[in-house]
Amino acid sequence: MSTNQHVPAPPVQSRRSLWTTRIIGITALVATAFTVWLGLWVTPPDQVQGNLVRLVYIHPGVAWVALYLAFGLAALASVLYLWPRTRSLYWDRLAAAAVEVGVVFNVCTLISGSIWGKPTWGVWWAWDARLTSTAVLLVLFLGYLALRRVPAEPEVRAKRSAFVALFAAVDIPIVHFSVLWWKTLHQGATVLNANLSPTIHGSMAWTLLLGFIALTLVFVWMLLVRYRIGVLEDWLGTGELDVALRERQAEGAGLDDDEAAA
Amino acid sequence: MGYVQAGYSIVLGILFLYGLQLVWRRRRLNRSVARVVASDAAAVGLTVDTAGARHADAPGVGRPSGDR
Repeated sequence: MSTNQHVPAPPVQSRRSLWTTRIIGITALVATAFTVWLGLWVTPPDQVQGNLVRLVYIHPGVAWVALYLAFGLAALASVLYLWPRTRSLYWDRLAAAAVEVGVVFNVCTLISGSIWGKPTWGVWWAWDARLTSTAVLLVLFLGYLALRRVPAEPEVRAKRSAFVALFAAVDIPIVHFSVLWWKTLHQGATVLNANLSPTIHGSMAWTLLLGFIALTLVFVWMLLVRYRIGVLEDWLGTGELDVALRERQAEGAGLDDDEAAA
Repeated sequence: MGYVQAGYSIVLGILFLYGLQLVWRRRRLNRSVARVVASDAAAVGLTVDTAGARHADAPGVGRPSGDR
């Protein structure tokens, strides 16, 4: 059927992009499986920490993703949105996706740290500078996600979200340097310390590195999928209510067609 | 070793469930888009251009300059 009008094209995902996402997902899964295998069965227990050192293969990895990759990317994307020359809803969607995934990784950071802290320090939680600043970061970015749910025009929502993301991102260097600025229970950096000489070696170091790579890949896969969800939601109409209404309309139209055919 | 097993189970469990939820959300939205496109096309008797997939009047598609 020919046409002289145009229905807005749906956000079709290219085959290449689909396969890239799949390959990253499968690689992330395999790398995570290897990290678990090395971390739980292959590496030796630590002289001081014993088996508890095995938690170190995932805890710094999830913290790295949450603090630096996810929230760092969200801050960068927010700056690019606010900068007039680069202003695009693309950056807003990217920031929103990074924050949502980052919040999940931040929760994992606090839980894994708490599980390590109980047998090591004797408590599940301490109001230590590193722990507290990480918890504050989580609350700030939960606020960001809550703000995005307030009904508004996409441009207004993007602008206010970008400001909040930048405000929240001020806490990232505070978390990083907290172990240097204050006397904390939390240990200092194992790899990225002041002398840049890692205090972990051999199979333990390789497992830690693999953990970082695996969790980074998991983050990239989640970011790609979450970004795609943002694109689809925007196309259908912002807000879950709009999406639900359009779904109902579509279903209704389908039923009408069936009745007409009958 | 109990703390270690609990740590791995909880962290990997959270990541797995969140990943699963993302896939489910994406699938649901893809289906909604397909239904809306089909119903819009049927309503006005149009063919739908899925080849280009990037129009200035299609909000939220990729990174169009229309976003600015």
